[in-house]
Amino acid sequence: MGKRPREESELDDSHPSKRTRPSSTDHLSRLSDELILRVLSYLPVPQLVTCQRLSNKYNLLAGDSQLWKSQYYNRFVRPRASRLPGIKDVDDSSGTLHFASKVSRWLDDEHLIKRGSKTNWKRQYKLRHNWSKGSCAVNEIEVAEHAPVPPVIVQLHDGIIYMASKNDGLRAWSAKDERRMLAQSPLGGSSHAPPTSMAIDAKEAEPALSRVIIGFEDGAFGLYSLDHAAGRFLHQYSHEPSSNGVVSAVALTYPYAVTMTATQCLSLYRFKVRSREERRPEGTDAPVLLHSLKSQTVWPPLSTSLRTSNSDIVVSVAYALPTYLSGWTVGIQEVRLDQTGRLLETRLASAIDQHYRPLAFSLQPIMHHLPSPAPGSLATSTATELRHIHSKPTSLSYTHPYLLVSHPDNTLTLYLVTSTAEALAISAGSRLWGHTSSVSGAHVGGRGKAVSVSRRGDELRVWELEGGFASSAAKKRLATGDLSVQLRPEKRSTNEPAQAGLDLVNKAASMNALDESSGLTLIRGWIGFDEENVVVLKEQSQGRQALVVYDFT
Amino acid sequence: MSEGEQKVKLLSSDQVEIETERKVAERSMLIKNMIEDLGAPGEEPIPIMNVSEAVLRKVLEWCQHHKNDPAPTQDDDADSRKKTTDIEDWDQKFMQVDQEMLFEIILAANYMDIKALLDVGCKTVANMIKGKSPEEIRKTFNIQNDFTPEEEDQIRRENEWAEDR
Repeated sequence: MGKRPREESELDDSHPSKRTRPSSTDHLSRLSDELILRVLSYLPVPQLVTCQRLSNKYNLLAGDSQLWKSQYYNRFVRPRASRLPGIKDVDDSSGTLHFASKVSRWLDDEHLIKRGSKTNWKRQYKLRHNWSKGSCAVNEIEVAEHAPVPPVIVQLHDGIIYMASKNDGLRAWSAKDERRMLAQSPLGGSSHAPPTSMAIDAKEAEPALSRVIIGFEDGAFGLYSLDHAAGRFLHQYSHEPSSNGVVSAVALTYPYAVTMTATQCLSLYRFKVRSREERRPEGTDAPVLLHSLKSQTVWPPLSTSLRTSNSDIVVSVAYALPTYLSGWTVGIQEVRLDQTGRLLETRLASAIDQHYRPLAFSLQPIMHHLPSPAPGSLATSTATELRHIHSKPTSLSYTHPYLLVSHPDNTLTLYLVTSTAEALAISAGSRLWGHTSSVSGAHVGGRGKAVSVSRRGDELRVWELEGGFASSAAKKRLATGDLSVQLRPEKRSTNEPAQAGLDLVNKAASMNALDESSGLTLIRGWIGFDEENVVVLKEQSQGRQALVVYDFT
Repeated sequence: MSEGEQKVKLLSSDQVEIETERKVAERSMLIKNMIEDLGAPGEEPIPIMNVSEAVLRKVLEWCQHHKNDPAPTQDDDADSRKKTTDIEDWDQKFMQVDQEMLFEIILAANYMDIKALLDVGCKTVANMIKGKSPEEIRKTFNIQNDFTPEEEDQIRRENEWAEDR
């Protein structure tokens, strides 16, 4: 719009200061901040960041948290709300953001609020943007020069990487900015066997303290706590080795702990809770064994989890299950106990029904090999699923209600678990295509975000699996392969513009994003993520082990 | 005489009296509330303190055209507005004024509490920003760049991630 000089006389005299240089007045900056923000609220993100470059004033205004919050909601929350079945009151016609309502609290990432401090919405927007694009910075943390036997056990929880190994004991690294070691401690106790499993307390009751449980090869387990302020581990308790054998999985929701052994013995313990005053630094009393169960059907890979409520404790074990007719499937066992350890109920469910096909009705040979169907033919994914033979899963990850299994044949399978008072059920599996090589590890989080890594470590994918595939929109996304994005690590130090190209899924084969010089790189199946990072344990041909941190901030 | 045909007298900041239909004037929540407080429009003109005659006439022109629009709902906050910068044809033409007038209209719409007009004004400005480089935007609005080249470059780099989507 051109500028024409105006006649001054007909304008009011109440703002004389504005009239001094009519041809070069900055009319926009004269508006109140509130009005400028209103103008900026009509701009899309790329223009918003352009405005930040205008001057200091606009840098502040266009970086305003409320503007970015609204951008965040429009891009990440509203589309999700419409995608989720059963949430109809977040409709677009009213378009109102029920920010404080129950629905939105569920929809919203609760971590944004619970941190108490003021949310930096631009930062959150950027984080989600980077996840959706797969753009991240890569850093490596060297773990060991030579591969320890058995390998290091790793967990990632709330920005801290926990590692346990026989040689180096228990270590904690910060996955955030500086990536330094936070604490290290010998594993201690009477056990000299290598650690075989580890879990972090799922329920963070005290922000200053994280509890860690480690299971050992000889059946022992230990409880440790990481004091965040002091930066050290406290060895709180060691359980004697047991004849039940290798502890293959553990879960911890303090004061309850679950151990699962290779001989399929499941044990539930309760630690005595002490108040802050009477807590002794040197340790914790021995826990009470509440219940012990033996299972005949549970095969690794498996995943245990522990949920507590006021009245009962639910232990779930998700596991891979061999079937004779159609390869491997998954099963889940839920054990419900009361607080004293009395068994209330135990329930089993498996996805076997969907795979079961009597031989007589089989028109095709059972073991035929299915070529990867072209995208587009996947709308009939259930049918594909039925005909597909499952090989033994390479990994299994269960975060209710999502159960994600990775296969050596370049695919993943997602199951949805329904657990109500009446029934426990597993949905038919949905095949996830996208990887172009064998998948060795996958991890799914509570909001349906999942990451997976190929065996050679050269291909990482981020999946948005929320809501499953019951709706037709979701099926379409499944069919078009629009569910995952391959990570695009970029070197932050250089000024190179980010690589263009949105259609990463289809280009995945041609992109070998991770460092190609590392030679043969094997991923032993461990992969984890939190809000900001994906961490992968990588093993190179010389036996050097390193943690690769993909930073999305 | 029905309420809609009643006349209202307004007094601009430069002391010019303008008479208009009550229905037209009541597009402004400020005037509507004032009339409601008084019970009925009186003989005395209502002073519109911050708006000059030229701007007031322009604003009333808009109100005249939109006098039959549905009344704005009370509870629509900033987030519920549709985030499109589409402007209907008549409004687009109406807003083809020089920058000075454009911003005077925005200020008047804000002061007189005419939300729909304020939105049209803000969208018009947003459209003037769209698709321009920082330098072009500065030129359009005479914005002083108080960054050093290093500072500007740093902000550019910090925001590189958002440039394409």
